[in-house]
Amino acid sequence: MLDSLKELAGYVVQPFLLAGALTALEIAAVAMVGGVLLGLALALMRLSPVAPVRWLAWSYIWFVRGTPVLLQLVFLYDALPIIGIKLDTFTTAVVGFALNEAAFSAEIIRGGILSVNRSQSIAASAFGMSPLLTLRRIILPQAMRAILPGMANNTISMIKGTSIASVIFVNELTFRAQQIVGQNFKFFTVFAAAGIIYLVMTSAIAALQAVLERRFNFELKGNPDDAARFFGFRLRTAVPALALPAPAVKPSKRGAVELDKVWLKTLTGRDGGSERSEPFVVGRRLWKSYGNREVLKGVDFTVKQGEVVVIMGPSGSGKSTLLRMVNHLESIDDGEITVEGNYIGYAKVNGALRSVGDLASARAKARIGMVFQHFNLFDHLTALENVMEAPVHVHGETREKALDTATRLLGMVGLSNHADHLPHRLSGGQQQRVGIARALAISPRLMLFDEPTSALDPELVGEVLAVLRQLADLGMTMIVVTHEIGFARDVADRVIFMDEGGIVEEGPPAAVIGNPKHERTRRFLRLVEEKTDEDVALPA
Amino acid sequence: MQISTGVKRILSIVAVATAATFCVGQAMADDMKCHPEQLATKYPSLVGKTIKIATDGATPPYSMRDPNNFDNLIGLDNDMARAAFACIGLPVDFMVGSWSGLLPAVIAGQADVMWDTLYYTPERAKEADFVVYLRAATGGLVQKNNPKKIKSLDDVCGVRATAGLGSTEEAVFRDLSAKCVAAGKPEIEIVTFPDIPAGSRLVKNDRADLLMIDLGLVNSFIAADPDAFDLAFSILTDYKVGVGVAKNNKELTQAVFDALKILQADGTEEAIYKKYNFDHKQALPTEILTK
Repeated sequence: MLDSLKELAGYVVQPFLLAGALTALEIAAVAMVGGVLLGLALALMRLSPVAPVRWLAWSYIWFVRGTPVLLQLVFLYDALPIIGIKLDTFTTAVVGFALNEAAFSAEIIRGGILSVNRSQSIAASAFGMSPLLTLRRIILPQAMRAILPGMANNTISMIKGTSIASVIFVNELTFRAQQIVGQNFKFFTVFAAAGIIYLVMTSAIAALQAVLERRFNFELKGNPDDAARFFGFRLRTAVPALALPAPAVKPSKRGAVELDKVWLKTLTGRDGGSERSEPFVVGRRLWKSYGNREVLKGVDFTVKQGEVVVIMGPSGSGKSTLLRMVNHLESIDDGEITVEGNYIGYAKVNGALRSVGDLASARAKARIGMVFQHFNLFDHLTALENVMEAPVHVHGETREKALDTATRLLGMVGLSNHADHLPHRLSGGQQQRVGIARALAISPRLMLFDEPTSALDPELVGEVLAVLRQLADLGMTMIVVTHEIGFARDVADRVIFMDEGGIVEEGPPAAVIGNPKHERTRRFLRLVEEKTDEDVALPA
Repeated sequence: MQISTGVKRILSIVAVATAATFCVGQAMADDMKCHPEQLATKYPSLVGKTIKIATDGATPPYSMRDPNNFDNLIGLDNDMARAAFACIGLPVDFMVGSWSGLLPAVIAGQADVMWDTLYYTPERAKEADFVVYLRAATGGLVQKNNPKKIKSLDDVCGVRATAGLGSTEEAVFRDLSAKCVAAGKPEIEIVTFPDIPAGSRLVKNDRADLLMIDLGLVNSFIAADPDAFDLAFSILTDYKVGVGVAKNNKELTQAVFDALKILQADGTEEAIYKKYNFDHKQALPTEILTK
């Protein structure tokens, strides 16, 4: 028994076998790197809006995934020489396994990307992040949790699967073990030793998987102690704790806050007195349809600098679509919008608007802050990181400056104590205030609010509207889509009422809300007021 | 002096004859001797090449790992290959891969020769040229003391027989099984194996009664585990075993043929056979087969 164990141990450390293990690892490592990169490209191609690109990627995956890797290897090794391409054994194995891995990892990566909520990329686009930056900073970090287990499976399969390559003269572990068995017939001992070597290698992969999964498990970020307790050390340097002077804010129990107006004016480049007479935002004859359904039918509107315009209307009236056209989150079928006299992501060619290639830069340059109904905070980033993301990665600010600005903004909206928290640990009202801070951090010249309070519990609406009111007082140019009649009445300079893709009436709130001319406006206001009464009545 | 003249004449005749004999003998000996230094004149296209020999290293006694150093390859085929290319005057490099990938690699030009229990068949000769040097023999491997008393292929009806998947032996078993059934005897229960050691384990673990494969292999199994196996029978077949060379490499084919002829004549081949306890009666005067 002892002798058998000794013999087994001897084979486990047998250089001839270990050399084979090393070969397997080398091939798998290089092929995995190449395969994952190519797989990422294929996954993106599969998600492309351009049909031929999708088909190309699909065909590749269909073919490679559908044919045995053994045949692919033999083909690469023995058929390519016919056309003058003679790859050596190692190269053939690496290329063959990488091409194969690409097909499989493309689908795993695509699955990971699809698992990330679309709201994430919409928010990233609104802040001028390019598709690649969005992928790298927002989508992939969140997709990693879904991608990693599949990738670890593939890596382990590949390490073991390199044995197929013995047909093209790769002398890896299994093949070498078979040769020893072919010579001495001690299949049990030799195969057991090979099995142990494989287990050691695959255990290393499993451990790496565990480490990476922790690394990309952003839910651990809010309480890093868990990870630290598990590993005895921190896997990730946390964002430096906030050691900045407490901002001049007076947080109340509800988080009601007072903005530091002087500082905010410098931040947003609005030091008063620069009011322009011509409208800041101009929309002309805007048409938009989804399929056969016409959403906007020739809408004209303007917003002056420093003006607060509230857009109201029943759902399906086209108000959100109109709002999203301002920063080109929605494309325009016909008509045009200018902000400060510029098209955003369009150029005029022969009198017609054409989309320009670099939409992201155009959005970034326009500096339009956007706040979403469902907050659309980046789920894997803390409140502070959410606010810092666009300034650092889109506008190229230094981390120090962005950190300083973000800290002050979060303090201002009453969230100093939550700066290191992930969005899922915040209430809806808190999340929306982070959303506002995030929009302010890019020094916006215009703020778009898309039903900012619709997704909130009634008792949380107030804290968000309080921030909006103060922004309005500051002279910020704002377009707000909302059903909050009280807010519109008190804060709006102008109210636009929309229905069925057109503007029904517009004017000062006293006119549109206080004395609506149109029956449709009156009916809508009645409905909203009844609903508001119910909401208020409920908690009582 | 008459006599002396006569003697002189005789002597001179003897001398001429002796000289002639000697010269002819010298010439013949020259033919049957290796001249690696003449590579450039004999086979100019091969100058500067390192011959890549495709082998699988897992087919004893033809190609296997040296038990004292797994990095070395030994075996009848590998030793013959080394001797042949030393004789030609070319360095060699062994490429070790699984058996089924060897001939395709030679055809594709990734390797120069396959020298590893390669049976000549007209089918294979369409893809590669052969230099044959050995007549294959088949052996029947059974458990120790031959419990099923299998003495020849006449005793196989109703036994559990195993052969390599797609091998000639499998076809033989299928043929025989049909004959058994036709003769009203039980059919042969045929199991195929993916690699040869796996086949031997079928017999050892009593999952099969008879394994039929190349006699050299069968003898290796018995030598390695004499307590487990016995030889049931052996049959000298008409199969020729040889070296596979790509069709477009005629000079290499010729060089291998010339070298094998010398090795067969000068006793090198016999010595190698002896080293691996291989019956030299299986040796075959070398010839080139291209069809």
